[in-house]
Parts: sequence; structure tokens; C-alpha cells
Amino acid sequence: MAQLDIENLSKRYGDFQAVREVSLQVADGEFLVLLGPSGCGKTTTLRMVAGFIEPTAGHVKLGGRDVTLLPPWRRNAGMVFQSYALFPHLTVAQNVAFGLEMRKVARAEIAKRVDDALALVRLAGHGGRLPRQLSGGQQQRVALARALAIHPDVLLLDEPLSNLDAKLRQEVRVEIRELQQKLGLTAVMVTHDQEEALTMADRLVVMSEGAVRQVGTQRDLYERPANRFVADFVGRSTFFEGMVEAPGRFRTDGGLTLACVGGTPGRGALALRPERVGIASTAGSGLDNNLRGTVEFVSYLGALIDIHVRLSPSDRLIVHVANRDGAFVPEVGQPVHVGWPAAAAQVFNE
Amino acid sequence: MSLAIDRQRSRLLTASALIGPATIFVAVSLFAPLAILFRFSLNGFDKATKTMVEALTAANYIHFFTDPYYTAALATTVKIALLSTVACLVLGFPLAYVVARTQSRFKHLLIIAIVLPLFVGNAVRAAGWMVVFGNKGFVNAGLTGLGLIDKPLEIMFTEKAVIIGIIAVNLPFMVLSLQSVIEGIDRAVEEAAFSLGAPPLTMFRRVLWPLALPGILSGTILTFILAMNAYATPYLLGGPLFKMMAPLVYNQFTQQTNWPFGGAIAFILMAVTLGLTVVANLLIQRRSARRTTA
Repeated sequence: MAQLDIENLSKRYGDFQAVREVSLQVADGEFLVLLGPSGCGKTTTLRMVAGFIEPTAGHVKLGGRDVTLLPPWRRNAGMVFQSYALFPHLTVAQNVAFGLEMRKVARAEIAKRVDDALALVRLAGHGGRLPRQLSGGQQQRVALARALAIHPDVLLLDEPLSNLDAKLRQEVRVEIRELQQKLGLTAVMVTHDQEEALTMADRLVVMSEGAVRQVGTQRDLYERPANRFVADFVGRSTFFEGMVEAPGRFRTDGGLTLACVGGTPGRGALALRPERVGIASTAGSGLDNNLRGTVEFVSYLGALIDIHVRLSPSDRLIVHVANRDGAFVPEVGQPVHVGWPAAAAQVFNE
Repeated sequence: MSLAIDRQRSRLLTASALIGPATIFVAVSLFAPLAILFRFSLNGFDKATKTMVEALTAANYIHFFTDPYYTAALATTVKIALLSTVACLVLGFPLAYVVARTQSRFKHLLIIAIVLPLFVGNAVRAAGWMVVFGNKGFVNAGLTGLGLIDKPLEIMFTEKAVIIGIIAVNLPFMVLSLQSVIEGIDRAVEEAAFSLGAPPLTMFRRVLWPLALPGILSGTILTFILAMNAYATPYLLGGPLFKMMAPLVYNQFTQQTNWPFGGAIAFILMAVTLGLTVVANLLIQRRSARRTTA
């Protein structure tokens, strides 16, 4: 395994800038996840690291070696594809052996490494089967074993779980993460599923419109989003549109005056995480913001309850209440009081 | 219970009513003439009166295989069919690959362009080739005019002209067979091979070729059969002295009115075509099977 450096990587298709000056460092043994909506450039970035797409500008360095101009077959990057891309005419063992044969590894050594790789993904004894005889989850693990057998400098995962059903996806997530930690793999994964990203990553990269919006840990992104896009994309937020009147005072377009921390006077938005808001039938005390509203929508999500409260004709707040004994769950149409400390909200200037 | 049986019976009736006509048509139009022709090929022929003589003899078949004139025609036919099929495969694969993998909006136009030659009949096209390749034709006139050659290239009425003509006729069939199969191969499989360290040629040999094999088989079978039985192209481009099997059969039937011998040639052509096709398929399939288990 090795360190991966991406330096000012750009890709342009005609007038369309798919990736803009992306610079990232993935430390040896680190799991980095590229997260973003479809079309944000995350897959293009990964494919440039793999060597399938030639960058318009910038460099890719693998273990200090500049591989920008090398074709994929000379990069030693293991790739797991969304469709698994197993060779359908070869058995599981032959699939895993493929990369080793390309590296002219001795026959006995190949057999041993194939067995090791299959044991690693709990598929020992399945070597003689054809890919189509395996379940989706098993195929996914063969793809992983095939990429790991070549002892790659970096493991690249392109939406590896999106073809699995929801239940299996949760298991495989943990499995891949544990394997990555156990083997100390340097890995880069692309996904649009934020729960997946949060579960697996050491660090996350949020991208949109070809550019990096923020790089950080789960906690960084969730609690200190660098901009409105990240606040919106990672987790849920209520956004109040309006003006920062003075540092610490925000006035919504609906006429509410809210206490916040900091902010430069001017137009902006105030973002609030739904679980940071308290809700009760009577006015609370000790909170910087105390407001009255009417419940418009309640939905039961199991672990939590999603409540939408109308605060003004143009302001609606989302509140999440943990589903515990004695939790306050109002009915639609019921008048309620909501409140939150000033520090719970974050202000983004336009 | 009886209801289920009734329903099954009525389904069976509907099915036979639907496939019956085609089956009967094929039986009557293909197998009946073949059976009659085969019987004719065992008859004798009186050269003086040019009439068929009732008999049960292998003389026509023996005549064919003992006369070098005819065996040479068979050898030429097989050689030309093999050459043109290999050429179609070599020329057609890259073309089929590009058509299958293109993401252009004009993909349907590409496919139409490939199929377009099929709209022009073989005879019409061969006539066109005559104009192009004649001693004073387009190619020779052009090359001479440019001072690139002193005397016209001998293309017309040679083996070259026939092979070029057959390739042109058969290429679309090869491209379409290959394209439909390549389209079904996940592009990511090729990329997986690259990422595992396979350079393009190795990827082609180990991944693309074996996966495209069904299309390669159907394409080569189709073009080989068409080439073995080519009539208009060898007749018009090869000239009167150029001998391939299909024109030979026609000649025996129409010029010589020797139906027994014509029938025998037709059956030899059919048997050789079928035999070579089967043998080639078995060989290719066995080789790919061995490679997979190796």
C-alpha cells in the first residue's frame, strides 16, 4: 500500500468542466470517500486515478511515483466496479488469478494467493464456480478479492454497494471497512449514499459541480459544514432564508428574528439540524430562541419522529424527536413551542 | 383437473396452428426439392439425347472427384470462402466494436450505413465493381492519370476481384453479428482487465475474444456459407473462366441440362459447406473451453 496524491486534477469535456482543480492527499492506510450528487465529478476523479480517463491538467502520484501518463495496466491500482465486472467466462479462482497471471507470478504462488484472497472474503471453496452461480453479495466479494490479490498500491471502489439490497449493503459496508483496517489498505471510494460514506470513511470529500466543497471527518462535515451545500447535502437541515442584521441576529424573510452566533451583515441563510431543536406543548426557558408554531406534518420513521412546524407563512421548521418512552409527539394542527440555543444554528452568507 | 387438460390441449392446438404453416412451407420448399434432387444425382445422363436415365449409381460423384477441373473448382471455392471470411472477421471486428461502443447520437445512422449495401442487389453491385475495376475503369484510369502506374492493374476477372466483391457483400452480415454480441459485453469488464494489468492485446485475447465468441461464430458461419454459395459475384467479377461451385451448378442445370451431375455438384457443395462449418465450430469451441479450464 502507498500514499496517493492528487494534485490540481482537472478534466474538461469541450465546454463542460467535469472536474476542477481537485487536490487530495490520501495517507497510507487511509480510507477516503468521495461523496456527492450524481454528476459532481467524483467518478471522473476516481477514473482518472485508475487511468481510464486522461486528465486535462494535474497529476496523480502513487507512492510518490507520478502515474499521470501511465495506462491503467501499469498503475497497480485495484478497482472494484459498480457492476463488479467479473469475467463471466472464467471461474471465481480464474478471475482472482487474472491479475497475478498478468504479473507473471509463478503458478504455485498464484494458487496460494488466490486461496488467501478468497479466504479473506469468506469464499474459500467457491473457486471452481462461475460468477453467475453466485449471489450478488458473493460476486461483490469476488470482485474485492480479485482487486486485493494483486496487492495494489491503492484500492479504488466505484459505488461498490449500489447493486446490493439494503440489508446486505449494511453488512458489506462494515465488512469492507474492517478488511480495509485489518490490511491497512489505502482506499478511495465513490458513493452518493451518505450513510455509506459516514460508516466507512476515515475522511470524506464532498464534491459538487466538479469541485471539492469540503474535506474532513464525519464530525467536521456534520457539525462544521464549510458552506451551505455541505450543510444541505450531509444530514438534514432546515434553511431559513433572510438577512443577517448584525452579528448574532438573523431576520427571516417571514419576519422572525433569530439569535445566532456570528455572521456578517447581508443576505444569507440560517441552517439548523432537526435534532438540535426542542419541542414542547409549553414554552421552554433558558434557550436563546423560543418560538410558537403549528404542527403541519408528522411522520413516524421508527427510531425518530419527523415533525414539520409552521413558524410563519414562509418559514417551516423540521424537528426530529427521538422515539423514546414519554417523547412528546404532537398531532397535526396542534400549537407547539420550539426552541434551540443560538450555537445550534449556523449562518451562511450568500 | 380436466379443465387444466382441456386448456393445455387448446394451447397445443393454437401453437400448432401458429407454427404449422411455416413448418409445412419449409418442408415442402426445402426438403422435398432436396430429396428429389438427391435422387436425381444418383441417376445417369445420356449425352447424345441430353436426357436423364433412370439409375442408382454414384457415377456423378465419382466423376466430380476424379476430374481435376471440378476438384479445382471446389478448392477455389473453399479457398475464396475461407479468405473472404477471415478478411470479413478482421475488417469487421474493429468496425463492430466501434459501433457497439459508441455513445454518439448518430449510432443509428452508423448502423444504417453498414446495412445500406444490402439494399443494393449483388448483381447490381457487381456490375458497379466492373466499372470501377475494369482496365479502363475508375481505379486504373485514376492511378494511370496520376502517373502512379504505367499499365492497368489486373483486377477485373481475377481471384482478387472476386474476393474483394464477396468481402463487400458479406461484411455487413459479419459486422451486425459481432456488434449485437459486443453490445452485450459490459464495458467495465474490459476496464477490469486493464486495471488488473492486462495491456489491450492481452485484454482482447483473454476477455473480449472469448466473450464475443458467440457473435464470431454466427458471423463466420453466415459469411462462410454465403461465400461458399456466392453466385453473382464470381460470375460477374471472375469472368467466364473463373470457376466456383455455385455458377458450376447453375451451368450444369441450364447450359448442359445435366440435372444428375448438377444435382451431385449441389450436394457436394452443401456437404462440404456443412462439414467445414461444423468442424470449425467444434475446433473453436473446444479451444476456448480448454483455455477456460487451463
